Formats: sequence, C-alpha cells, structure tokens
Amino acid sequence: MIVPISLFFILFTIAVIRSPSLVSASGIGSATIVAAPLILATYALMASVIAGRGTVDLSIGPLIGFINVTMVQVVTNGYFTNPFAFFALAFLLGAGYQLIFALIVVYVRVQPIIVSLSGFLALSGINLVILPRPGGLSPEWMSTWGMGRSVFSPPLVVLALATLAWLLFTRTAFYTHLRLMGSDERAAYTSGVPITVVRIGAHMISGLFAALAAICFTALISSGDPSQGTTYTLIAVTALVLGGASLAGGRAGVFGSALGALNLYLITFVLATFSFGAVQSFVTDLAYGTILVTSLLLTLVLPLIQRYARSFSPLLYFVALGVVVLGVTLHSVFDYGTLSAAFVPPVFPGPLDLSQAMTGPFEVATVDAATDGLRMAATPLIWGVLIAIALAALVRVAFTYGRTRDMAPAIFLLIGLIVLGAAYSISRDAPPAAAPPPTAVEAMQ
Amino acid sequence: MMPLEQTRTLSLATRLLGLIIGTVLTLLSVIFGFVQGVAVPAIILYALATMALFFWGWKFILPHFLIEAEQDAEADVTGPGPFRRVWIRFMPSLLGLGAILIVFFILAVSVEGFLNGWIVASLIILLAIIVGTRAIGPLFETNRSAFIGIMVLIGLFAVGAMNIEGFSSGYNIRSMLLFAAFLGMASVGQTLVALLGGLDLSIPSVIGASNVGMLYLISQGVPPWLAFCCVLVIGALLGVMNGLLSFRLQGQALIVTLGTGFMIAGGVQIITSIGTAYGGNVFGTVPGWLSNLAAMNGQTFGIPIPPVIVIWVLITILLVVGLRMTVYGRYLYALGVNRISAKRVMISEMKYWVMAYAVSGFFSALTGALLLGWSGGGFIGVGDQYLFLTLAAVVVGGTSLMGGQGGYGFTVIGVLVLQVLTSFLVGIGLDYEWQQFIFGLLILPMVALYARSPHIRTQI
Repeated sequence: MIVPISLFFILFTIAVIRSPSLVSASGIGSATIVAAPLILATYALMASVIAGRGTVDLSIGPLIGFINVTMVQVVTNGYFTNPFAFFALAFLLGAGYQLIFALIVVYVRVQPIIVSLSGFLALSGINLVILPRPGGLSPEWMSTWGMGRSVFSPPLVVLALATLAWLLFTRTAFYTHLRLMGSDERAAYTSGVPITVVRIGAHMISGLFAALAAICFTALISSGDPSQGTTYTLIAVTALVLGGASLAGGRAGVFGSALGALNLYLITFVLATFSFGAVQSFVTDLAYGTILVTSLLLTLVLPLIQRYARSFSPLLYFVALGVVVLGVTLHSVFDYGTLSAAFVPPVFPGPLDLSQAMTGPFEVATVDAATDGLRMAATPLIWGVLIAIALAALVRVAFTYGRTRDMAPAIFLLIGLIVLGAAYSISRDAPPAAAPPPTAVEAMQ
Repeated sequence: MMPLEQTRTLSLATRLLGLIIGTVLTLLSVIFGFVQGVAVPAIILYALATMALFFWGWKFILPHFLIEAEQDAEADVTGPGPFRRVWIRFMPSLLGLGAILIVFFILAVSVEGFLNGWIVASLIILLAIIVGTRAIGPLFETNRSAFIGIMVLIGLFAVGAMNIEGFSSGYNIRSMLLFAAFLGMASVGQTLVALLGGLDLSIPSVIGASNVGMLYLISQGVPPWLAFCCVLVIGALLGVMNGLLSFRLQGQALIVTLGTGFMIAGGVQIITSIGTAYGGNVFGTVPGWLSNLAAMNGQTFGIPIPPVIVIWVLITILLVVGLRMTVYGRYLYALGVNRISAKRVMISEMKYWVMAYAVSGFFSALTGALLLGWSGGGFIGVGDQYLFLTLAAVVVGGTSLMGGQGGYGFTVIGVLVLQVLTSFLVGIGLDYEWQQFIFGLLILPMVALYARSPHIRTQI
C-alpha cells in the first residue's frame, strides 16, 4: 500500500498547486464523475482477478461499452426509461455476460485469458453493430448526473454504495473461500470449498460492478459510444496493478484499487495542466507506462523496505501524509490571490532562485509579497525539520546495523560527514541575504 | 487381444485392394483432366498428388479403424446394443451435429434465397470436415492442434473458393500470403515468449514506433539502409529492456510489457514530433527498394511474388529447424516445461528469457519497417491490430500460453487460418464489426478443441 498512497499524495499535491480549482465544489464534483467509471471498472476487474488462474478480464472495457450502447439504444427507441428497469437491465447484461464467461472457464476449461480475449473481440464487434457511431440519448433522469456542480453527485453515491457493498462482502465466508481459491485452487478444492460455485459467484459480482461502471460512464458522456469503453480495459488493468493487486490471484483490496484508479485520473489531470500542445497524448502515454513499470519494480523492492521498517502502519502513513497535503491544499486555495493565466515555462537553467526551487516548475500562481515573505521565513524551519527526520532515521539505522560488518563503515562515514558539514556551516558567518536575481519569467514580463 | 504391431500392418488383401482403388482413382483424375483440357504437366502433378495422398491415408489411417473394429468385436456382447453404444459414445458430437442442422434449416426457411446449391455443398464439406476431424483427430496423439488447424484451413479454403468469386485466384492468394507474412513476422516473438510462459504486449507499440521512427530517420537524411539497420537494432535493444524489466516479474509480464509499450510509443512520438507542426505524423519518402520489398506488386528476382513472403518462408524454415535442432531451441523448451529442472542442468533462465524478448523486439521492428514499405507513410497505430492478432495466432495454432508446448510451425498454421478466415469474411461482404465478432466467437471453440486444461480433480 505504500506505493499507491505516496503516489496519490504526490500527485494530489502537484495537482492542487497547479490548479487550485480542483478542490472547489465543482472541481471535486467533476473529478468524481470522470473518475467514477474508472474506479468501478477497476472494482469489476478486481473481483475476477482475485479468483486466480490469471483471470485478467480483458473484455471488461468492451463489456462496459456493450451495456452503454444497449441502454442508449433502449432509450433512443423509447422502450422504457424507468430508472429501476434501467439498473435491472444493466445488472442483467453484466451478470449474464460474466455468467457465460464463468461457465466457459469452469466447464469448457479454457484458460480465462483466452476467453476474455475472444470476449473482447466479440463484444467490440457487436458494439459497433448495435451503435455504429457515437450518439444517442441517455435517459431524462440521468441528464443532471453528468453536470458535476456539487460534491454530492449521484455517481458519488453509486461509488460509495459499491465500495460499501464490497466491504460488506469481505466479511462473508464466501470472500474467504474466494481468496483461498485464488491463492491456491488445489488447496481450496481439497478442503471442500465448492470452487465451481465460488468462481461463478466472483464473475457475477464482477459483472455487477461492470454494470455500475457502465451506468456511470453513460452519465459521464450522456450518450452512447461503441469504442470509448474499450479504452477502460487497459486503464483498469493499470489501475489495479498500481493499487497493489496480484494478477496471480488471491490478493487485491478495495482501497488499493480505488487509489490506483484515482492515481491514474490524477496523472491525466496533472499532465493536462501542463500544456504540451500537440504531444499531450504522447506525454500521457509515456507517463502511464513509466509509472506502471516503476510501480511494478517498486513492488520488488518493497519486501526489502519492510525488513527495515517492520512496524509500518499504512493508516498512520496515510494520515501523516494527509495532514501535509491538507496544509498545501489550504495554502494553495486561500493564499493564491491571482492565477496567472499564461503558462509558466519550467526554468531549469539559470541562477537558483530559492522560492522557485521550493515550488519547482509546478506553480502557476503568482504569490503576493506578504505570503512570499512568510514562506521565506518558514524555509529554514522546514529544512531543519527535514534534516532532523533524516538524521533520526540515520542514527536509528546506525544503531541497529552498526555492528554488522558490511554496513558499519559506510554509515559512520556518512554520519561523520554530516557532522563535519554542520560544523563548517555554523563556523562560517551567515552570508548577507542578497536580493534574488531576476528570473527568466520576470525578465520576460 | 493381439499385439499392437501385428494389427497395425495391413493384410495382403487389404493392401492389394488399396493399390487397386488408388490406381483407379488416379486414372479417373487423369481422364477428367484430359476431358477438361488441363495442361499436361498439371495433370501429372495432380495425379501424383492424388495417388500419394490416398496411399498415405490408406496406410496410416485405416489401421486405426481396423483396430477399433476388432476391439468392438471383442467387447462384451451382453452390453447395450450397437446403436445405443454409438449414442453413448458420441452423444455430445451428435447433439452438436443436430444443432448445426437445425440452425441450417431455420436459416434456409427464414432467409430468402439462402437455399442454393453452393451453400448446401459448403455445408456438406463443412460437416464432412467436422466429422473427419472428430473421427481422425484423436488418432494424432501429438500435434493434434496442427492437424485440426490444417483441416480448418482446408475447409475454409474449399468453402471460400466455392462461394466467392476470385477467392482462389492467384491475386487473392498472393494478397492473403502478404498479410499473413506481416502477421507471421509479428508473431515470431509472441511464440518464443509464449514458449517460456510469458506474454509480450509491447509488440504493437514497437511495430508502430519502428514504422514512424524509420521514416523519421530517413527524413532526417540518414541513408535508408542505415535507418533500417538502426531500427532493427533499436528494436532488439527495446526487447532486451523488456526482458530485463519483466524477468523478476514473470507473473506480471503481461502488464510490464504493456507499460513499456506505452512508454515506447509515447517516447518515440515525442522525439519525432519535436520541431514539427504535425503532432505524431511524419512525412517523408520511402525508398524504392523498401516498397518493392513489401508492396503487393513487388518482385523477387523477377518473379512476381512480394519478397516479404519469401523472407517469411525463410524465417519460418530457420525457426522451425532452429527450435528443433539447435541447443538454443531445445533449452527454450526445457525451460518452458519445467523451470526448476532446467535450472538444475545449468540452463541460465535469465539469458533465455531476455533473448526471447530480444527476438520479439527485433521481429516487431522488422515488421514495422516492412509495413512502412507496404503503406508508404508512417503511422504509429499501424501495429494496433497486432496486439490481439498475434496472441490469437499463437493460441489458435496451439502453442500453450503456459509454456513448453507448441512451436513456430503451429503459429504459422494459426496465422494462415486467421488470414484465410479474414479473407473469407471480407469476401462474403461482412463489415469489419461482424468480422471481429465472428473472430472472437471462433477462437473459443478452436482452442477448446485441443487446449483444455485438465480438471482440478486430476491435478492433486
């Protein structure tokens, strides 16, 4: 969990600094609406991934598209618009498809990835048959869903209910069976778990989540789109892996999946605030790929870290980072008087400006003099705290591992260097604070 | 019961009978040939082929039936009657056969003009092939998937040739082979990686990247041959990167390669679009030799066959022989079947894993560069369809995704089946979406015919 949490807060901080409007009511509202289908699609994938046998359901994206176009065609042809009938139809389609999927996996005994591959092709074909090009109408009662003016929008309710339902589901014996089957199917079979029933059940749950995702997707675009849903496959798989699930089965969590999906949304959001112009989508691709591979490689390093930090609490970590980010958010929302409309190009070369270095190339706002002064005054404090934390950690490591032969010289050398450096900086007189040289931005203005 | 070897050789009377029937068949075909006015060399060729095929079938397939008949005769007489026995033994197949017939009749009644001679003939051919496959298939204990694939190929081709104008013309066959060559080259890496139990989803990105990258290099003034070599080397290096990154994450190779694919496609596009006003689109002229290499009207030393097909055939021969004969090939299988025992005999797992991915990257880059010659313009999305097609070709051919079973020869059959199927579906006038739908539905039964995993009960 350490990777998704850290990533989430880093991305969130950057997003807030770059665009403080994210934390306004409409900002959060629209973010919820855009992220809801993605999160639900990740849940849908999660339910079947836990079942093991490498069940990465590649057909989840086309399935969402399939439910979407079917519902839109139902409305456009005027069969019925009743919300209950609508939800029932979506659930029926999602669960029905996944039931067929599960029956094929269980009784025909073909590898699930092949079934999902053939489902991907078949569904993306049939979607184009049902609705040849994007268009159509969403039902009347759904038209206000996609506005995103307030925080409490219907997609948020759907999302919350879905999360709650999954949490309740984890309290059942069925879930225990599911995890046992996912991590070791033979053991589950020999200990009397009805694996056929469990597998079918997992797929049906996945289908229900897919139906919810399709409903939120329909609300988002308020029309039908036969090919857009397909993109959810790759994003949802990425989100699931970012959230720390094991594609081998048996291990996946609802918070991890939600965080993974949110991270992906935030990546897109942050990159959108940098205007890359024509190469925007390529940069997004590059960032997706890099983050995905890096987070996978980090899962290899993670056991190493956990050896040194045994009593690590994800919750405490979450809260601690949350406090820091809350501070940044408050700062960016209330202190930024004027937002500069023009894009500030990142200034890497040139003389180092302290305030520039602190906010990096990310900040879009121009801060007034009082805030700037306050920030300069706080700088030594922040650095002091950071160095103190680093020193404390080093000393802790030194005391624990100082006696082992391979670690000792390096650690004592490092501590010695730090002490020497500190003594040197104290012995010198503090240089007079020179006025910062004009930066490239100011020169341009 | 008699020893197996004795029953397998046919008796003298049976052999004589076979000789007579074969000769008569050959004579008949010769007479028909002369009546139809076919050229003499062709008649000789066809006659020889008929005779060889018949004798082969007579010698190898008939004994199996004879054994079965004897076994049936020896079976207990007090059991259920012969019809009942047949029913119990073939119940699923008979039910399936009945279902096909019912669907056909419903279609014939409901669709106007459906019931014509050609379609009935195609149905009979299809049924004959299904029954034949079902009856003979189990006798091929090894390479069953290849046998089924070839049967499907023959059936599809026969039905296509009968129903579609110009399906079996030289031009159409050439174009099918051309596209099959591209798909086949793209599937080389997927096959090798699948033999080790991995997957490579970065293939389409590497294809697109090399396609765009090569044109970019050419437009920057690099000599085309050098650009070609550069692209191939870079492709192989990307493959090595894939292999190294995914080695420790073998269970998630699918996702790692997906991620590197995103990175490669994004990165190459950023590089190529720096300093141009057209994001992602590269313009330039493709050299003549490259177009000749891959275009439909290309010539190999004056023979009107696109050189890509010849290259593909050479690659196929090299790979099939290489996988069977060389140490590299045998070790690859050894690793795919059982990692631990392969490690015990000092086979470096990492080396072969990275090499398989490097080969994959190399061939993806080759496909991308050749596709540039075919299309004449760079486009990053040119490889997108190969994401699922390479996987489908490997799976339909019969290489197990779990590793250790299959080979490139199987993939070639899979590629041809997919290509003939596409051509057939296009030929009967189906749109792209219906093609995709049918593709999806057909992969499943084809795989189910031979790649079913055993029941969990038997794995304990």
